[in-house]
Amino acid sequence: MTVLVVLTVLEIVVLIAALAFYLFWVGTLLARIAGNLEECAEIVRGIVADAALIGPGVEHINETGGVVAGALPLLYGMAEDIVADVTPRPEPPAVPEPARPASGTRRSRLLDAVGFAPRLSRTDGGASPGANDPSARRDVSARAARPPIVQGSSRQEGDLP
Amino acid sequence: MNSTEHTLWVSALIVGAVVLVAVAVLLSILIYLVKNIDRRVVTVRDTLKAAKANTADTVLIPQVAAGVDAVLAEGLQHHLFLGRVLGKVKS
Repeated sequence: MTVLVVLTVLEIVVLIAALAFYLFWVGTLLARIAGNLEECAEIVRGIVADAALIGPGVEHINETGGVVAGALPLLYGMAEDIVADVTPRPEPPAVPEPARPASGTRRSRLLDAVGFAPRLSRTDGGASPGANDPSARRDVSARAARPPIVQGSSRQEGDLP
Repeated sequence: MNSTEHTLWVSALIVGAVVLVAVAVLLSILIYLVKNIDRRVVTVRDTLKAAKANTADTVLIPQVAAGVDAVLAEGLQHHLFLGRVLGKVKS
């Protein structure tokens, strides 16, 4: 009888002690978690405060940058005008150059019809006698890149006016 | 105390011991889970600290906006200057 009573009391005490121990342990852990979560909440509020600056700031930068980017062509256009105005121009020639078509002169096929094949020194368009020769083509293209010779003495007999 | 009462008391003691062990096991599982939560909360806190460090420089964005405004104002001054000079150098 006494043994049973002692065992019963012991069991109840152990149960209460175990419950109290685990409750204290869990309470300690939950208090630590609560502290960490409180710190997390504080950090999140700071992040929200930092992120609140991003939207209006970037919008402002975008708007102002768009205005600057739109105004820059106007600025450098004006600067180009100024540079073009203050750059010295070459003196015009004393004898004005005769007006020539920009496309050059064409060789008349009537000359071919009568069997006349002039040796052309082409600087101003038309078919070259060496049209099938690549080296001659390079020569023609190189000469075409140079400005045309305006002296009348350089014209040959076969050239058309 | 008769035999039946003794048997019932002993049985109650055995059931109580089993309940005590079960409570201990369940509370141990609870402690394990709470510790797990604690570890993960610490991880979340560290991640948030890193995010806070990343967003700490956003205070510079309004300063950058002010700088871009200054660039725009300077560009307007250049525009006025070029407008004055362009009329004078025109030939």
